[in-house]
Amino acid sequence: MDQATNVLRLSSERLYARELEALAAVDQGAKPPGWRLSPRAALTFITGGEAGGVPIRPKYIGNKRLVEMAIATLLTDRALLLIGEPGTAKSWLSENLTAAIHGDSSKVIQGTAGTSEEHIRYSWNYALLLAQGPSDQALIKSPIYRAMEEGGIARFEEISRCASEVQDALISILSEKTISIPELGRELSAAKGFSVIATANTRDRGVNEMSAALKRRFNIIVLPAPASIDTEVDIVNRRVAEIASSYELQAALPDEEAVRKVVTIFRELRGGATLDNKEKVKPPSGVISTAEAISLLTGSMALAASFGTGEIADEDIAACLQGAIVKDEEKDRLVWKEYLDNVMKKRGSEWRSLYNACKELNG
Amino acid sequence: MNGERVRVFGVRHLSPAGAYHLRAYLDKVKPTAVLVEGPSDANAFIGQLTAHGVKPPVALLAYTDRLPVRTLLFPLAAYSPEYQAFVWANKRGALCEFIDLPTDRALALLELRESGGEDDAAEEAGEKRRTYAGWQHSLYERIAELADEPDYEAYWERHYEHAGSQEAYRQAIHAFSGSMRELTEAEERAFVPQEIAYNGLREAYMRRRIRETLAAGHEPDRIVVVTGAHHASALDLSLPAMTDAEFGKLPSVSTSLTLMPYTYYKLSSHSGYGAGNQAPAYYQLFWECLNAGKPERLPTIYMTRLATLLRESGTYRSTASVIEAVRMAEALASLKGGSRPTWKDLRDAAVVCLGNGDYAVVAEALARIDVGTAIGKLPEGVSQTPIQNDLNRELKRLKLEKYKTAVAQDLELDLRENRRVKSEDAAYLDLNRSVLLHRLAVLGIGFARKQAVRQESASWAERWVLQWSPEAEIQTVESTLKGETIQIAAAYVIHERLQQCENLAEAAKLIRVSCECRLVEAMTEATRTLQELAVEAGSFEQIAGAASELSALVRYGSIRRLETEALVPLLKQLFLRGALLLVDAANCNDDAARGMAAAIQQMHAIAQEHHEEVDEALWRAKLRELAMRDDRNAKLSGFAFAILLERDEVSADECSQEVSRRLSPGVPADLGAGWFEGLSMRNRYALLSRAALWEQLDLYVQSLEDEPFYRSLVFLRRAFAEFEPRERASVTELLGDLWGAGAEQTSEELLQPLGEEEKKKLDELNEFDFGDL
Ligand SMILES: Nc1ncnc2c1ncn2[C@@H]1O[C@H](COP(=O)(O)OP(=O)(O)OP(=O)(O)O)[C@@H](O)[C@H]1O
Ligand SMILES: [Mg+2]
Repeated sequence: MDQATNVLRLSSERLYARELEALAAVDQGAKPPGWRLSPRAALTFITGGEAGGVPIRPKYIGNKRLVEMAIATLLTDRALLLIGEPGTAKSWLSENLTAAIHGDSSKVIQGTAGTSEEHIRYSWNYALLLAQGPSDQALIKSPIYRAMEEGGIARFEEISRCASEVQDALISILSEKTISIPELGRELSAAKGFSVIATANTRDRGVNEMSAALKRRFNIIVLPAPASIDTEVDIVNRRVAEIASSYELQAALPDEEAVRKVVTIFRELRGGATLDNKEKVKPPSGVISTAEAISLLTGSMALAASFGTGEIADEDIAACLQGAIVKDEEKDRLVWKEYLDNVMKKRGSEWRSLYNACKELNG
Repeated sequence: MNGERVRVFGVRHLSPAGAYHLRAYLDKVKPTAVLVEGPSDANAFIGQLTAHGVKPPVALLAYTDRLPVRTLLFPLAAYSPEYQAFVWANKRGALCEFIDLPTDRALALLELRESGGEDDAAEEAGEKRRTYAGWQHSLYERIAELADEPDYEAYWERHYEHAGSQEAYRQAIHAFSGSMRELTEAEERAFVPQEIAYNGLREAYMRRRIRETLAAGHEPDRIVVVTGAHHASALDLSLPAMTDAEFGKLPSVSTSLTLMPYTYYKLSSHSGYGAGNQAPAYYQLFWECLNAGKPERLPTIYMTRLATLLRESGTYRSTASVIEAVRMAEALASLKGGSRPTWKDLRDAAVVCLGNGDYAVVAEALARIDVGTAIGKLPEGVSQTPIQNDLNRELKRLKLEKYKTAVAQDLELDLRENRRVKSEDAAYLDLNRSVLLHRLAVLGIGFARKQAVRQESASWAERWVLQWSPEAEIQTVESTLKGETIQIAAAYVIHERLQQCENLAEAAKLIRVSCECRLVEAMTEATRTLQELAVEAGSFEQIAGAASELSALVRYGSIRRLETEALVPLLKQLFLRGALLLVDAANCNDDAARGMAAAIQQMHAIAQEHHEEVDEALWRAKLRELAMRDDRNAKLSGFAFAILLERDEVSADECSQEVSRRLSPGVPADLGAGWFEGLSMRNRYALLSRAALWEQLDLYVQSLEDEPFYRSLVFLRRAFAEFEPRERASVTELLGDLWGAGAEQTSEELLQPLGEEEKKKLDELNEFDFGDL
């Protein structure tokens, strides 16, 4: 079900090229060195508005002040670290900020336990290296390297998952803003405008273990999970509509009712209690964030388009719910069963058909 | 006369830029008269407010001369434009006067507005007021949103506090308030007509006062009126002024005025004062930077202080972080096209750069730097009520001045004579302090709170927490009506309470209070009241309580250097009545028995403590009677029996007889087990040493049918719950011996925590209502 969203994944600067053009066309504000847009225009790109008659869709939905704080950080040449629960739009905001400010969000390092120092500095094409010795042609530049050359922004995803040597290497890059290449006897100094936007997930132990020295190199901004169900429904509605149109899904958008049901289920499973706080709910093993709700609904649309009538049926939603919630077979199946029997079943007639569909699948 | 234009300078009451620009304006215009929105009968205080040694925040307080006291408060910070107007006029020798309604009219009108007729009507008016407040609030939010600011405070600061020039400030605020007034007028008329009417009166009166000033010969363009911007547009002299006749018709109450120190905490809207501002300490810093001509230094000073506070509490932040925080705040301001960061910008940057994104890290330091704990100061000789002066003298005499701060501090007192010092004053310093603090407590002046102390030192040690607040000062001022000094006022309060005193316990408490306050006359009066009430008193518990208070006074009075021998006859009399009432009073249900047991305990303590004075033999006889009676509350009989047992008043034979009688098969569960519960309330050691008793209990419990067995469980569980673990272990050993199961095994089984099943069963039993048996 993730196929539709993965295969055609467009970068933000391509997806919203028209909006960026429109913003640039009317942008009167002063642009800091290396910036494609003025800070205010970048802010409008993220939080929505209008530019020369072109509507600018809001990308990040929530506290506008957080976006202002993120932009102010980049204005002061500081690196930015976005942290928060899974699916709180850290990567999404990082990508869109980069697209607005730098115009290229593709310089990304994906942090893992296997990320090495070479990934963040440079490495060599060994065939060339052996053939002709160290040369510019043999040098393979990391995304950070390229961002430094261009005075642009490099993105660092899941930074806390990296080993501590890698974090140390990053510290020296961020504090000195240079990379030395002893093999070539020279040094690369960052052009003005260079910065890094990193993201880290509070579910990973890693955030707390990130070295204090590294944390000090960043301005840290916490992105919260949507405070109310209405905000979350709004986020999901907008994102589903956008994704559907950019991937040309041949199905009708889910109605408000369906979105609200999915978000309700997710919030209850995530929060460990029913929305009215009267009943406890066991959370499943996997992550069930806003992001999962969005891909669940676009997934349902894909199902409806390929195998159904083009209208999302409760069976489509049930199938996707099953996939999203039941990850670690036995335990999750039980959690989901309990939720169905103790909570959903008692919800009355509007929920009846979704309940039946879920029940049938979960057995 | 119409059309004469005096110069009106509209302000927000707490506004550094307002204060700063107003001063520049005064320097430019050089008025001969400065008229300020404030009560006209307080003119005499203007000079005092700027006297040498006055340190804002301070407040002008008006209060009614009769009870219940109503008050009006005018707080002033150094950055209040009004305050700077006083300072300016004082220095230049210009006339400076208040022009608002005098407090006698203002308070009377306020009273009228609040009492507002019928209940229904008042409720409806309240409802409307809330609706209006909600509407107004949303209006402010909307303004902030339109201005693209996170909240209204930030909007205000960026647009007015940061205004570059005096002219820009004056015009911006004038235009804004004028349109706000127009915008809200219709709603105000519909929802809060009283508000409009009241403001109308005030403005008409202010116009009258402006006219008077003109009539006194001041040129119109040499008169500057300093007023809340809301009123600026209404001080147009083409509008009618209040006439003598109209003024004569206003209601009035008699009022007095005084000055008092104030705190930033109270100024901040944390504690809900309407015209307060959220961050007085921040605004003070703002004012100081403006004054030094260096407003641009504010962010750096703010962040540096914040980092220092963090460091003091163990969170190290480098200078580099401070610099980053300042830069970020400036970047936030630039995003809004602002020239300098607002308070909100500073706070948000502090959370990111000093709190590493976590508000909780910086929350406390922020509260300290934004609100602060500073309190204002009034030097001696500046007008205050007699009782304020008296309190200040007393605090000085007793070396308590250093506790007059907004920060809570502990004070430990040792009431005993200090023999290492010479003077009598020094020897009894702590005792005298205790007297003062108790008097303040009687007056309801919330300056000192008494804390519990350990039992052993209870007779001579006291612990207090002292913390001064504007409320405490207001309470002091209110006490003026009760007496000129703390002592007289406290005596007055006790006298009043005695007049209304209807029960023994209260009267006895008032004797103690008088004693703690060292008010000898009040003590005599309270003793007399107690005596009168004792004649008719029929409640055993009240008598025991009162007697117990007296007993403590007789024993410890000497520490307070008071003659308490005079209380002994009264104590004897109360004790006698109590002893005679015991058996009757013990005819009560289980709920009442709890209080009764405590009262018996008190009586018994008196019997032992004062065995030479009171009729102890009678008490013992009555206890014995209660112990042997079958028709009183079983628990109380058990309790009385326990006392006798403990005092060796019963022989072993007698004991086993009584136990087998009380716990014989056939005795209903609540009587048998209830009796045992009472028995086990005292001196369990004596019980544990009597194996026969446990044998009897065991037989008894085994004899019970299912239903009564369950009931007995409730009583027994309650009884054993009070046992110490060690005592419970002894019980299980005893039972183990009885059952021949071997002590260890039994105790292991019995001491195991209950299983789920057993717990549930017991819970059900506990919920079961046995009351109707
Ligand atoms: N507040 C929000 N505004 C707009 N979109 C949101 C919001 N919250 C979540 N989303 C949507 O959720 C999806 C996933 O978010 P994203 O992948 O950025 O989460 P993340 O915080 O990086 O999660 P993880 O910790 O798992 O990496 C995006 O499509 C995004 O649009
Ligand atoms: Mg992510």
